[in-house]
Amino acid sequence: MKMNRRQVLKAGLAASAVYSPWMIARAQARPVKLAAILPLTGAFAFAGNAALDAFRDATDRINDAGGIGGRRFELVVEDDGYDVARGTAAFNRIVQRESAEELVFVYGNSTGLSKALAPEITRLRLPYTATSFSNELADPKTYPTIFVFGPTYNDMAGALLQQIRRQKGRGAKIFLCYSNSEFGRDPIAFIKEQSARLGFQIVGEEVTPLAIADATPIVTKLRQAQPDFVIVHGYVLTVEPLLVRAAREQGIRATFMGTYYSAELALMQRAGAAADGFIVAYHNGYYYDTTIPAVEQIRALRRAKGRDLSYRTTYYMGSWMAMDVIAESMRRANAAGKLNRPGMIEALEGLGDYNAGGQVRNMRWVERRLPFTKLWRANVRDVRFDAITDWVDGSRI
Amino acid sequence: MDFALVLQTILNGLANGALYAVMAAGFVLVYRATSVTNFAIAEFLLIGAYLTYTLSLFFPLLAAIFLALPLAFGFGVLVERGFVRPLLGRNVVAVIMATIGLAATLDGTALLLWGPDQKAMGAANIAQLPKEMPNLAFNVGGVFLSSKAVWSLILALPLAILLVMMLKYSRYGVLLRAVSESETAALAMGINAPRVVAAAWGISAMMAAIGGAFLAGAAGGGGPGHHLVLLGLIVFPVAILGGFDSVPGAVVAGLLIGLIEAFSQLYLESVLPGITQAIPFLIVLLVLMFRPYGLFGQHRIERV
Repeated sequence: MKMNRRQVLKAGLAASAVYSPWMIARAQARPVKLAAILPLTGAFAFAGNAALDAFRDATDRINDAGGIGGRRFELVVEDDGYDVARGTAAFNRIVQRESAEELVFVYGNSTGLSKALAPEITRLRLPYTATSFSNELADPKTYPTIFVFGPTYNDMAGALLQQIRRQKGRGAKIFLCYSNSEFGRDPIAFIKEQSARLGFQIVGEEVTPLAIADATPIVTKLRQAQPDFVIVHGYVLTVEPLLVRAAREQGIRATFMGTYYSAELALMQRAGAAADGFIVAYHNGYYYDTTIPAVEQIRALRRAKGRDLSYRTTYYMGSWMAMDVIAESMRRANAAGKLNRPGMIEALEGLGDYNAGGQVRNMRWVERRLPFTKLWRANVRDVRFDAITDWVDGSRI
Repeated sequence: MDFALVLQTILNGLANGALYAVMAAGFVLVYRATSVTNFAIAEFLLIGAYLTYTLSLFFPLLAAIFLALPLAFGFGVLVERGFVRPLLGRNVVAVIMATIGLAATLDGTALLLWGPDQKAMGAANIAQLPKEMPNLAFNVGGVFLSSKAVWSLILALPLAILLVMMLKYSRYGVLLRAVSESETAALAMGINAPRVVAAAWGISAMMAAIGGAFLAGAAGGGGPGHHLVLLGLIVFPVAILGGFDSVPGAVVAGLLIGLIEAFSQLYLESVLPGITQAIPFLIVLLVLMFRPYGLFGQHRIERV
């Protein structure tokens, strides 16, 4: 194609504008952003604030190392108070306020909020993860930009059912106790279906609010049902300690089991000796496990910043892991010259054996989630959860 | 029907009901004294539980519960002096909105003062196990009563009954009734009405502190936290069933709702999941439709 003098001049002018030091500086000065909608107040404030603590630490770590390809990493935080309506409003504010070039990832909250936002997230092609491990979110055909940074509640339940098979085998009697919420109900159908397949018997089922005043009526049913295992799901240590304590007081010897949100040391702190032997599915590291490189990274950063080095909860550890993975994806997207939303999705998909400082087995997605978890047993004497398995694939029962 | 199971359910229901009764009695007391509906009552539970928690770090748990009571009383008086008194005489909607604002303020204050972390009574850090009250659980003839239930029956129920007796027979009770009838007339008779009203708020906060401490696991198995606000909402159906302005009514209604919940959890929950959570509010609906003055409330006829 032949260009005339005027076209050549125009092209030259445009090129000089694009590649001018001013434009380059402006592009580099433009931050890359992650928005986090967290429950900083309300019933889940303990988890939201721990996550924010981790996010701030991780942000410092990223920026101390020069940001992402020279661009400063910025955190945009909104509080939803664990309320879907507030969370939706916060999300709308964020996507309207932030430019698509800068905002390349959203970290959301709760099963309810994530399900409510999912269609809009998909429409915006916005990379997203959340504190929820809902099975419904791990569906790349419907929600191609949503990632679950860990096993779904079904996978966690799958790992627990594998443990039941190892401990008791066919004929094991299971009692289910879960909260009357989307979170609580999420894996129940799966547990029932798999239990039937494995020859386990569901001998009782109890649905409760997120918090209860007294566990005695549930324990009465446990006494009648005489289960070998009690799977508790959909709470945040508001019911588990009360239940296990009342059960032990009444001489129930069943093994209690729980999922991610039961896997915090506060279980032992609240239930005392009754929590001993409680089995949980948990897929990140514990802060007291200094063999995990991520723990050393966290301690080194907090030491350098003069921050408190005392125990960090599982909610902190999970959020640190998510930030580590997101930052790594940003670096890879930037290296590929695609630090934008589609580039982030490609980078996340290609993380492969990356293990976030030993906090996950690897980043090989199976239907956009990581189905591996470990099982841990509460050891009240040492106030620790001891690992009783290596990585277990919860999706293969 | 299993007699032991029924008896056990009755006792456990009464034990829970005693907690509801003590919290609702305090709530109704304030309403009687000032005609103010304290929408921050659930946050009073929260503050009471955190006060008990703080003291439990330094004292045995039982002592912490008793030591928290005067602090809770002081807190109640402080709320009355600083927040409620300046609004007296204003439009009732303004006062209601103010107590809703008070609830949000107290939520935020608790978060700021005690932090968001999950806590357990008597445990200063995560490496410590909780302090516990002496275990009074027993099992007689197949009737099992948990330690929490026994402690509720020992502490909360007598406290609620004591409040009823005090209002009926003590000098303070007479003064409070006089103030609630007509504050102006009471003042004209030389009654120190502001002091009587402040004491009502103080007593209400004390009652909430007892309830909050137990719901936060003072007798084992829990900890202070925002979930107490959810549990504290039970005060409203109890007060409405009791008649809203009747302290004995609140006590009877508390025990009644405790019993209904216990039986519902045992027999209905498996058939209709979630029914136990809904039942107190269904009762409110029925009461408001068919007996708006509740079990013991005053029959007021308003001509418009």
